[in-house]
Amino acid sequence: MSTKDKPPGTPDLSRRKALKQGAVAGAAVLAAPWVARFAHAQGMDLGAYQSAKINWRLAEGQTVNAAVIPASYFENLIALAPEFEALTGIKVRFDKVPPGQIRQKVVLDLSSKTGNISTHAGDPMYLPLYAANKWAEPLENYLNDPKLTDKAWFKYDDIFEAWRKANMVDGKTYGIPYDGEMTVQTYRKDLYDAKGLKPAETLDQIVSNAKALHDPDKRMWGFCLRGMPGAGQNMYIYPSILGAYGGKWFDAGGKIRVNSPEAVAALDWYVTQNNAFAPKAAQNWNWPDIADAFAQGTIGCYIDGHSAATVIANPERSKVVGKIGFARWPKGPSGRRVSSIWNWAMPINSALPEKARQATWLFIQWAASEETQARTSYKFKGPGKRYGVNRLAMWKSGAYNKTIGDAGANFLQASLDSLGQDTDVDWRPRVPQWPAIGETMAKIVQASLVGQIKPKAALDDAQTQVERIMRGG
Amino acid sequence: MLAPGLLVLVATTTFPLLYLFWQSTQNINLAMPGMGGYIGAENYVRMWEDRRFWAALSFTSVYTVVTVALQLVFGMAMAMLILRIPRAQWAFRVAAILPIVLAPVVVGLFWRTLMLTPDFGIVDYASRSLGLGSHNWLGDPDLARFSVIAIHTWQWTPFVFLYLLAALAALPEDLYEAAKIDRANAWRRFVHITLPLLRPAIVVVVILRMTVALSAFAAIYAATGGGPGTSTEIINLYAYRVSFAELSLGYGAAAAVVLLVITMVVAGLLFRLRRAA
Amino acid sequence: MRPRTGGALRNALLMTVAALLLLVWTVPILLAVVTSLKNEKEVLAYPPTLVFEPTLKNYAAVLTDATSILPNLTSSLIIALATTMLTILIAVPAAYAIARLRLPGKQPVGFYVLATQLVPPIGLIIPYFLILNRIGWMDSYQGLVVIYITFSLPFAIWLLVSYFEDIPREMEEAALLDRASRWQAFWHVVLPQARGAIAVTVIFVFLNSWNEFLFAVVLGGATVKPVTVAMYNYINTEQTQWAQLSAAALLAMLPVILLGVLAQKHIVKGLTTGAVKGVGRR
Repeated sequence: MSTKDKPPGTPDLSRRKALKQGAVAGAAVLAAPWVARFAHAQGMDLGAYQSAKINWRLAEGQTVNAAVIPASYFENLIALAPEFEALTGIKVRFDKVPPGQIRQKVVLDLSSKTGNISTHAGDPMYLPLYAANKWAEPLENYLNDPKLTDKAWFKYDDIFEAWRKANMVDGKTYGIPYDGEMTVQTYRKDLYDAKGLKPAETLDQIVSNAKALHDPDKRMWGFCLRGMPGAGQNMYIYPSILGAYGGKWFDAGGKIRVNSPEAVAALDWYVTQNNAFAPKAAQNWNWPDIADAFAQGTIGCYIDGHSAATVIANPERSKVVGKIGFARWPKGPSGRRVSSIWNWAMPINSALPEKARQATWLFIQWAASEETQARTSYKFKGPGKRYGVNRLAMWKSGAYNKTIGDAGANFLQASLDSLGQDTDVDWRPRVPQWPAIGETMAKIVQASLVGQIKPKAALDDAQTQVERIMRGG
Repeated sequence: MLAPGLLVLVATTTFPLLYLFWQSTQNINLAMPGMGGYIGAENYVRMWEDRRFWAALSFTSVYTVVTVALQLVFGMAMAMLILRIPRAQWAFRVAAILPIVLAPVVVGLFWRTLMLTPDFGIVDYASRSLGLGSHNWLGDPDLARFSVIAIHTWQWTPFVFLYLLAALAALPEDLYEAAKIDRANAWRRFVHITLPLLRPAIVVVVILRMTVALSAFAAIYAATGGGPGTSTEIINLYAYRVSFAELSLGYGAAAAVVLLVITMVVAGLLFRLRRAA
Repeated sequence: MRPRTGGALRNALLMTVAALLLLVWTVPILLAVVTSLKNEKEVLAYPPTLVFEPTLKNYAAVLTDATSILPNLTSSLIIALATTMLTILIAVPAAYAIARLRLPGKQPVGFYVLATQLVPPIGLIIPYFLILNRIGWMDSYQGLVVIYITFSLPFAIWLLVSYFEDIPREMEEAALLDRASRWQAFWHVVLPQARGAIAVTVIFVFLNSWNEFLFAVVLGGATVKPVTVAMYNYINTEQTQWAQLSAAALLAMLPVILLGVLAQKHIVKGLTTGAVKGVGRR
């Protein structure tokens, strides 16, 4: 808890405190060259922020309580928080909540209107729920207020469009993307090259590639998808296959339909291929499990978040560094590729008083700004690369490129193409009932994977349950 | 002398219980704002018709009965065994504390990934090396039920062992001497002397283990999340999921109330048994 | 009498079975120890590597990195100690009263105490959240301690009652005849005999609050974050850091093991006089 022992109130850093913080940040901040010019002042360079034409100190004295998850990209932000505090005179307290519990904790706070959590690392799929309950602020009020936002400086439109759109409900923005990812095909380039295989362009090629490599006796499984039940686990994969088969979540009349022929075909593909080529354990695997297995050199190809590079391209964890290739999702029968859309979206809690909401907005603006994105990624000297900064221009910049580009062949291009061309903002049903729908579908998908029930029957059952959920039962 | 204790208990449990009960009569579905309000017993009616609730209830019963029985049998056997090797007892007493002390979420994760994963875990490796083949311990519905029961039994048998070891050690030695002279064999001595003497201790340990088994949560949550499908979903997990993943707080409260009533009925019966003993 | 050779054989057999049992119990713990000494890359090697170069860097990382669990260990310690002390302070007289005094409605009270221990924790999260918010005790030590007492108190009372019931009445009655007050008799006669029982209760109450997760995660926060919650620093959305997780889990076990070993004598003593009543909710 690096924020725990800071004395409250005092925005300007004493020498001792700066040293202490420096230690927390791995002494990185002090070593950076841009610090040297301002070392005589406060030991930190706030010029890049002060060039924004807003009064950063307009909510001085406020406290922002941010609930985040334990992850390196938030650890880096926590390490930089003293800069924000010095810039604005606003105190930030971070609560690191385990990813499995953050939704429940936030929902408890929002629904009881206690305002304990000013902003948090939010799931975009929960934003419709927030909007329906008026728990979170429509952020246009803040983005378009010249007192609060310098549009030319913040350049909100530079943030990936897919992520911005994923955070909109009925045309209004409810969360600002801080970090994100997309699902990509990840394969063993060395093995593919040896057999003359190319990364799959279609779902059928995934199967033929898998067949060519599959040899469980030699601890090589051809293809793998995660099966663990959960709205953010197997329901992060199935919707892409559904999209590739041309399936939709709603019928022409706007009624939810989860058992269309396309859905049955998609689930059938998921079940068939996972049973044919994945380790049996994958039925219960989440993404870290697949990444671990791939890092041990046992998986020929899998489709999951590009940010798994944290594990598979890390020489301390992985035996396949330098042997990895990346590609976009293959096309399905519909000719579409559908990647996932994920970002950690930061909303503003509506239960806060106005001043506190403004302070929260300043914090969000600071965290999502290009400068902070840079300082938490390639300018950050400590450990923990960020694979998901929120702006295209940064991805293309040489400096960022250098820190993450070596994850594997075609890493940057595959990731950017997926995000730019393969996303569909409605790849999952964005309704307030999503949490229940996601859980219900997740159970059904896993039950099919383990063979408890056939895909058609499973989805018919899901249809009944989902209809009940939409009625509020 | 009783007053402060009782007061604290009333303050900290009674009010929340009343609240829970009130909640179970409301339609609180966070995904459907504006639909809330008093709905009487509707949540309970819905539960009656809910297949998943009944599945969870039936697995909860199996889980509780089987884990408690296994703990009792293994714990007793171990205690009888270790009683005969007094010099090594300390090692077992210390070892017995270890599984109990390990944080449940770590227990679940360790068993799930490092031990039981087919093709990757060490249990699987051992089973292959012994020629027993590879099994999908947590992926196959029946095996998964077996596995979560095994994990709970592994973690808590030491407790029963510790408890019964001490109870056995306290039994009067002269009874055994007399029986030995009578040339009663070991099994008969166990059935006719040890068991009757241990009855109060056994009843107590069964009550204790039962309440803990009924409220098990973290280890299953970490190991299978209630899966595959809903195979290992106990009521606690079901109530949790309904409340916090599906945001149906009224219905979730009703599930919690039902679990409470069932637990109390079972405990009440055992409580009587204890007094009779 | 049996021939000696048979006895030796039987002893050898007993020892073998016992050693096997010991192995079953300790394998996951030993696995954690081994894992904590490995590099991440080696942890998941299959077949498992037994020969490797041990490293202490995981322990160093867990204790000194930016995400050090030291402050969390401190938090856990404060909560567990406070919970344990307060629980014992309230539970001992209450249990004594239930066991001894001729109070009207003693049986219902006894059952009520048992029943309060049976409340499913899931059902209590929301009411507790609302209550703590109302009185401003969210994310505070006093908040979590009060909640933990809710669980530990019935457990402790119930555990202690049967111990007190086992202590012969005669001694107290003698003291009472000597014009000692009820309190004096309790203090000078009953308490010393119940030492073992109290030691057992202390350990299990401490253990329960030390291992609690569900309430800690919802009702704690930036200020109060017990080590069970901080364990997720190593099981995060990016990766599972098995070696560091193992190191952290073992470090978190240390205080309780230490307490357990120190109280070994008392535990066994306590166990023989009365009955240990359950190690709380999982």
